[in-house]
Amino acid sequence: MRKKIIYPAIIALIAVAAFQACKKSGTSPNSTNSAGFDRVGMLKNLSTNIIVPGYITFQASVTTLDSSVTAFNASPDLTKLANLQATFKTAYEKWQAVSTFDFGPAANENLRISVNTFPADVTQINTNVTSGSYNLASLSALPAEGFPAIDYLLFGTGADNNAILVQYTTDSEAANRKAYLAAVSTIIKTKTANVVSAWKTTYPATFLAASGTDVGSSVGQLTNELNEDFEVLKNFEIGIPAGTESMGTTFPTKVQAYYSKISLHLALLHLQAIQNIYLGQSAAGNGLGFDDYLVSAKATYNSGSLNDAIINQFATATAKLQALSDPLANQIATNLTGVTAAYAALQLQTVLLKTDMPSALGILITYGDTDGD
Amino acid sequence: MLNYIREKFNSFTKTDRHIAPLAVLRMAFGSIMLVSVVRFLLKGWVYAFYIKPRFHFTFYGFDWVRPLGATGMYVLFTILIITSILVTIGLFYRIAITTFFLCFTYVELIDKTTYLNHYYFISVMAFLMILVPANRYFSVDVFRKPELKNTYVPRWAIDIFKFQLFIVYFFAGLSKLNYDWLIAAMPLRIWLPASSHLPVIGGLLTQLWVAYVFSWFGALFDLSIGFLLINSATRKFGYLLVVVFHLATAWFFKIGMFPYVMIFVTIVFFSEDTHRKIIGYLSRIFSKRDTITYNTGSYQISLAPKRIIYTLLLLHFSIQLFLPFRFLLYPGKLYWTEEGYRFSWRVMLMEKGGTAFFHVKDPRTGKKTEIINSQYLTNFQESQMSTQPDMILQFAHILAADYQQKGIKNPIVTAESYVTLNGSGSRLYIDSTVNLATIHDGFDHKKWILPFHNNN
Repeated sequence: MRKKIIYPAIIALIAVAAFQACKKSGTSPNSTNSAGFDRVGMLKNLSTNIIVPGYITFQASVTTLDSSVTAFNASPDLTKLANLQATFKTAYEKWQAVSTFDFGPAANENLRISVNTFPADVTQINTNVTSGSYNLASLSALPAEGFPAIDYLLFGTGADNNAILVQYTTDSEAANRKAYLAAVSTIIKTKTANVVSAWKTTYPATFLAASGTDVGSSVGQLTNELNEDFEVLKNFEIGIPAGTESMGTTFPTKVQAYYSKISLHLALLHLQAIQNIYLGQSAAGNGLGFDDYLVSAKATYNSGSLNDAIINQFATATAKLQALSDPLANQIATNLTGVTAAYAALQLQTVLLKTDMPSALGILITYGDTDGD
Repeated sequence: MLNYIREKFNSFTKTDRHIAPLAVLRMAFGSIMLVSVVRFLLKGWVYAFYIKPRFHFTFYGFDWVRPLGATGMYVLFTILIITSILVTIGLFYRIAITTFFLCFTYVELIDKTTYLNHYYFISVMAFLMILVPANRYFSVDVFRKPELKNTYVPRWAIDIFKFQLFIVYFFAGLSKLNYDWLIAAMPLRIWLPASSHLPVIGGLLTQLWVAYVFSWFGALFDLSIGFLLINSATRKFGYLLVVVFHLATAWFFKIGMFPYVMIFVTIVFFSEDTHRKIIGYLSRIFSKRDTITYNTGSYQISLAPKRIIYTLLLLHFSIQLFLPFRFLLYPGKLYWTEEGYRFSWRVMLMEKGGTAFFHVKDPRTGKKTEIINSQYLTNFQESQMSTQPDMILQFAHILAADYQQKGIKNPIVTAESYVTLNGSGSRLYIDSTVNLATIHDGFDHKKWILPFHNNN
């Protein structure tokens, strides 16, 4: 009886001694830090070289868009319309690079759903234009504002630019329509300015300080939003229009940028942007990203490296999208097989990014306690 | 042999022990429950887990358990707060602890998404506390009705808690004796580096050997701590281990109140002298009058309730000893199938993640649709569901019912689920060709779970 108790006690004692010993030597972390991945370094690269420059470029494009709206509204003509359409396309392109970062400052502004809830609710937009009174701050107004609303207003209100111009010149609701266009543009500009201002001042410090891996940490939020955003790409830009969620009934008009017909172009930019975040790739070169993190964790997939699998899947998905052409809405009608093949490639990447990556890194992506010991 | 058992049994039922450990346990348990429930409320989890979700994953056989709506849920949690206070101070004790047990267990039964061994443990402890007269000493009940006071209780009234705690630790230890934990140092080799931002020891957590030390120490701790606490010679050292171990885990992992609950309730292992000192100390804080100078009789209950209690205890501990082994009745890798996984004190053994795509097919037209899970489930529910076969089946049934209502007769529901277990990399989890809508849940082996092949 006595021995039974003493034996485990001795083992436990030795284990404790080892445990305590390692606690002590931990006071000089520099000597042992080499094997660990530099998470703060990754956050620094992502914020300094990708997030902040991305937002600054986006803000510049949004400001240009807003001044072209003002110029157009002052004296609408075909040249100014074409110029406005071009600045709109640029701003919509730049948005793809920052769509992912819907946490912190962007979450405070509800930026993603405010600027890019699509398909646009054309009925609501037209009702708003006719009545001239609307509250664009309400949740129900989300499909009547942002880029999708401008997409409709600038490209969908007439068969060609001559017809569209009429809506802003001689049409009985021209004044209201111009006011609506300006109101929508102002919201995008204001919200973006607020987000950029936070990222230019206090937020980077907060971002770098939350260097853990739980839900509230920067890596946790980034991983979560990367996946949310990837689902926007997979489901809303490709899947839903192609009928994957509606018993095969297709909805070509539900694509992103339906009226300006740059849906596929934007989807490719979006995928590229997400890949850049994953790789830590920017104009400053290839810095620390999730790829390096996974390599340092020696994450595996199907007897190979998880990082290789993810990089290959980015390439596959990109190739499948590149095999299509704009307008994407037409492709859904004529080449549905090609569109669903792209969707399937994105689907597999969802699994790798949403399940394999967080699990290999021990990143918590849901709230609630876990089981303790 | 029979005589030996009878002797042992008599020593448990006839030997009187001082009641002080029970009174301390009552206060420790009640107060830590108060903190836990208030914390749960403040985190907004009542809304997030029991009000917001449109659907819930009930336990097999408990489909009748439903959330009570916003008002009802908050009333339920208010009752939990009030009864925790009543238990702590020992007022209307039996009603309070019984109500606490019923309400707490009801909440836990609403949705298995939130299942934690820690919550199961609280239900078990509350159940055992219903059976003992923990209010007959140093309590408001005694202050109110001095004739209630007892100084002695039969030995079993205290030892059942020690036995229960012993079971919890020992089975937790047994479950760690496997390849993943001991040889592969999984999942700690994933989890510890995730905490590398912690001050002082953060850098150390990225070292592989540290994951091994923690794994082996954890297993040895769980297996031996019960012995160390029972034996008076090693008790103080054992308790020090308890405190250090649980505080360390609280620091490294998101495990909420569990470490503190264990630090509080393991006090019950200490001798009655220690507990009398604790009570003496507390009574000096609360009143000038020393309430423990006079002795009263020992706790007596009539034969009929005694028989009921003994039967309940025998039943309870038989179940406790059987449940952790029921996994042996199922084929396949336990962590993968999770058949017989819950209610067995298996904690922190798996890093498991999954993504599940559900498809609903109209058998008439052959057309199919993919489900956006978030239109039905919260993120938390979705992530738990993706890796647990019984929840995948439940969700398939929710979808079948929904599409039936939408006018599709006998919809075919399939799940394409990818799961990664302890760094294995994701692979197909269940047979994606099986129509889950026609499969009934039960305790028999789920043949549609694909076998786990580790190809790394």
